[in-house]
Amino acid sequence: MVNLNTVLPKNGRNYYVALGLEGSANKLGVGVIKHPLLAEHEDGDLSFKCESEIMANIRDTYVTPPGEGFLPRDTARHHRNWCVRLIKKALQEAGIKEPSRDLDVICFTRGPGMGAPLHSVAIAARTISLLWDIPLVGVNHCVGHIEMGREITGAANPVVLYVSGGNTQVIAYSEKRYRIFGETLDIAIGNCLDRFARTLRIPNTPSPGYNIEQLAKKCSDKEALVELPYTVKGMDLSMSGILAYIETLAKDLFKGNRKNKTLFDSKTGEQKIGVDDLCYALQENLFAMLVEITERAMAHVNSNQVLIVGGVGCNERLQEMMGQMCGDRAFGQVHATDERFCIDNGVMIAQAGLLEYRMGQATTDFSKTVVTQKFRTDEVYVGWRE
Amino acid sequence: MVKMNHLDHNLNLTIPFPNNRYAEIAVKVLRPDPILKPEDFEVEYKNKGNSLEIGFKSVDDRVLRVGVSSVIDSVKTIIETIDELDSV
Repeated sequence: MVNLNTVLPKNGRNYYVALGLEGSANKLGVGVIKHPLLAEHEDGDLSFKCESEIMANIRDTYVTPPGEGFLPRDTARHHRNWCVRLIKKALQEAGIKEPSRDLDVICFTRGPGMGAPLHSVAIAARTISLLWDIPLVGVNHCVGHIEMGREITGAANPVVLYVSGGNTQVIAYSEKRYRIFGETLDIAIGNCLDRFARTLRIPNTPSPGYNIEQLAKKCSDKEALVELPYTVKGMDLSMSGILAYIETLAKDLFKGNRKNKTLFDSKTGEQKIGVDDLCYALQENLFAMLVEITERAMAHVNSNQVLIVGGVGCNERLQEMMGQMCGDRAFGQVHATDERFCIDNGVMIAQAGLLEYRMGQATTDFSKTVVTQKFRTDEVYVGWRE
Repeated sequence: MVKMNHLDHNLNLTIPFPNNRYAEIAVKVLRPDPILKPEDFEVEYKNKGNSLEIGFKSVDDRVLRVGVSSVIDSVKTIIETIDELDSV
């Protein structure tokens, strides 16, 4: 039996408090979360029902000009500049006066992500851990998304679709691990959308694909769908070919290359397709691929719940398409969260880290806090689930 | 013939802290991170009283400069964290 109260709260309190630091990509997030100490957590898999209270959830995004991506070095500098200020603000918001007394654990993202930004946040995490004498938990970013999603939506055992700027995975829990059922073979979906946005010279904020979603809504003729490659490979998918193809179309459109028969009418030379039509087609095509592999994973594990997490998860069209698929399955349900929790944040790191801490998986040995760019979801031992 | 890398470009930094505890913290925070190319670059962290002493050894000026500036960036974060967050 899982006992989530294996480690009791500090100083005889009847609640746990965790600080979470996230900085694996261009978002720097600091969050504080509180779990009450509940008797029913002593035996049973109730890790999706912690009755979490979010005491602070603040974020600062490193924004680059439209048409430019974020580079590791500059992102790390942004995180270094803001990290301490954000921690201070989060503690203030949460009303924590004496961290060494009021915090149980400090959680930070150990990976996966960009090396330099991860490292800059880990340095701050180690320093406060020593200053306040509080143990550390290095959290897997993907597991952070999953646990926050489960807690917010109350989905006990969902198939998880994790879609963000750096990751695209279909995940299901089995035997103490979050197993990867299918994933991208090349680039992540958010990266695909962001790079197309860069070609169109539109900004990437607030979340990957957000501005493409807005343009796609303006598509006037949804029946005349531009045909794109559809590249599902078993349980996996590939997106780099689709990106290259649609980028060529966009460039031909900007140049006014009338030889391109997809974009221009062969007789009159009139433009048939606009930027919004391309955005719509790209979304429909990519999301259809995601829905297909998610449905197959659901059939495999006999689950009727889907949880969508990650930055691209706020996309309403993706949620709608997933909803249609689930509607066709018996008792199918889609769970998704809004931008506060979909987009990278500190609270989710605190949530996953606190679960780990409560199972006695925290550390004071800093050699275990070295960040890593590659950190697979299934490397984490999920002690808090049955 | 096997070419040996001579780590003969050296630099020593001494950074004073207000007390011994802070200098110790800095050493503990910096030490765990591995060097990407140990054959080209070496760093050693020590605390001596109130000071943090860092010794760099490298194959050439360029590697030395890059390595030193990255460590200094980390030290800056540590100092700011100590300044702002010790007993807030």
